[in-house]
Amino acid sequence: MIKFLVKAILRDKNRSLLPIIVISIGVFLTISLSGYLRGVMGDMIDQTARFETGHLKVMTRAYAGNKDQMPNDLALLGVNELTQSLRKEFPNYQWVERIRFGGLIDAPDAEGESKGQGPSAGLAIELFSDNSGEVERLNIPHSIVSGRIPQKAKEALIGDEFARKLKLDIGDEITYLGTTMNGSMTMESFTISGTVRFGMAAMDKGAVIIDISDARNMLDMENGAGEILGFSDEGVYFDETAKQTEQAFNAYYANSNDTFAPVMFRLREQNNMANYLDYVDSFASMFVVIFVIIMSVVLWNTGLIGGLRRYQEFGIRLALGESKGHIYRTLLTEAVLVGILGSLAGTSLGLAAVLYLQVHGIDISGMMSGTTMMMPSVLRAKFTTDLLYIGFIPGVAAMVAGNMLSGIGIYKRETATLFKELEV
Amino acid sequence: MSHENIISIEHVSKRFPVGDGEFTALSDITIYFRRGEFAGVVGPSGSGKTTLLNIIGSLDTPTEGTAVVMGRNISNLSHKESARLRNMHLGFIFQVYNLLPVYTVFENVEFALILQHKSAAERKKAVMEALEWVGMAGMARKKPSKISGGEGQRVAIARAMVKRPDLVLADEPTANLDAKNAHAIIQTMKNLNRELHTTFLFSTHDEKVMSYLDRMVHLEDGKVAKDEFIKTKTTKP
Repeated sequence: MIKFLVKAILRDKNRSLLPIIVISIGVFLTISLSGYLRGVMGDMIDQTARFETGHLKVMTRAYAGNKDQMPNDLALLGVNELTQSLRKEFPNYQWVERIRFGGLIDAPDAEGESKGQGPSAGLAIELFSDNSGEVERLNIPHSIVSGRIPQKAKEALIGDEFARKLKLDIGDEITYLGTTMNGSMTMESFTISGTVRFGMAAMDKGAVIIDISDARNMLDMENGAGEILGFSDEGVYFDETAKQTEQAFNAYYANSNDTFAPVMFRLREQNNMANYLDYVDSFASMFVVIFVIIMSVVLWNTGLIGGLRRYQEFGIRLALGESKGHIYRTLLTEAVLVGILGSLAGTSLGLAAVLYLQVHGIDISGMMSGTTMMMPSVLRAKFTTDLLYIGFIPGVAAMVAGNMLSGIGIYKRETATLFKELEV
Repeated sequence: MSHENIISIEHVSKRFPVGDGEFTALSDITIYFRRGEFAGVVGPSGSGKTTLLNIIGSLDTPTEGTAVVMGRNISNLSHKESARLRNMHLGFIFQVYNLLPVYTVFENVEFALILQHKSAAERKKAVMEALEWVGMAGMARKKPSKISGGEGQRVAIARAMVKRPDLVLADEPTANLDAKNAHAIIQTMKNLNRELHTTFLFSTHDEKVMSYLDRMVHLEDGKVAKDEFIKTKTTKP
């Protein structure tokens, strides 16, 4: 019987082509948009974690309350001991120290006169540490546009856009003008070892990256750091695990009234990420539900039209001794077969689109010249294994649901009425 | 030829709701058909011919009375039992030959046997035999759109006969055929009636068909006006 049905599906384009096209389009859109949006959102979360929040972050309570101002006067002290303690207590995370600093970058010319100045977003990381993983974490080797990674003290990486704006080349000197942890003025010169482009407008416009030891010297932050970031060994954020770590750490300081006591935050609690993460979690399922509803309605109508066209056939089959139930079941079997064909086509096209967008992405840097959002300027899709079924199963389900609804018409009509359709 | 009753219609009435009232299609009909008969229900349009055939074909049930076909009371059959009765014992031939357009001639005839879960080898043998009965074996691979009306009706007869039914119900089978084809079709059915002892029951008002019938039940306004047994004719004079 199945062979007989397949023959009809292949031969009768009205029975198969339209539903297959409808399902293919629906599945294609579901997969490509899910993959794209998941890639974009995942990238944004990942970028945010790598550059700003970590999966966990330790700050002083006072620093946490004003962290947007990079208040290094409220930074953690005694961080060597604290970091060692974190590494011992929570070995599933890699703990790294960072200092953020704001200030002015001055670019002197050959005569020592200023040829340009601009505000900087400074980031001091463990550049020279072999174990920190910071160079790889921030994808610095692949982000370097020219020059190299700093190899010794007093060398700095500078944002490529920033460098071009100040007309700076590799080997040029820049001077940082800012305030120390104690509030006094500081000036420090660095040699540009390379320029970087992270693909994030917020970083690329004024980035200055130096080693944390240079920052400590420059800002009088001996054994201090604004933040200690923790990254899970798996490289993926797991909220439940992060929450347990956070609770365990904060419980230790729960009874302290010291505003400089360290406090831990997980990614979800920073930068208003909670809603964003919830949105990401619910997005795929929301997409699938909407898809199934829309497709079911469309396929219901397609099925109704097809069913009306086939009342004559149903009458013949009843006359040949097929029961209504059997006709209904064969309709659903046909729907499964057509659904599988359409979903296979849609899934193939959708995955091809996702893989293309994963490699090439869509460059929106032109739209982000004024933005301060921590998001990539090339938006890429992301292939995940659930894309293999996220459109496929709903595609088949929608086709079956549509035919189930339209097929009810067979039961609603009297056998003799269906048979009467034969009396043309 | 057995003389048992293959169809027993006793005091059957059929009424259909029309607006606030009812339309009586059949009114207290009692009639019997024996196995092997080549009979027809004749009468003008609206006389109740199709309604009677629908009841005999277990496509409808009587409002009153008893209709027993192949020993089964039509009123008591479930949808599934009705389908099984049609599948195993009844064959239908329609005014329009109603072949499934997506299937070939062979597959159209084969379909009834697939419903009976016959093996591929059994099906092939039976289908080719049925197509030979009606002279269509050479067109087995053709689609219905590629054959003429007369050929299509021959295929429809093969489809009805392939499962060797006890009873074939033919509703105006020659209505869309020219005289030559109509005579050929009726002659084919008459031959099958003689050779296979299949009972044929026609609904018709076509004189050409009537000329072949051994028995004519005249219906008027849902009642049996005359039950006429005619001397058997095997060929058209």
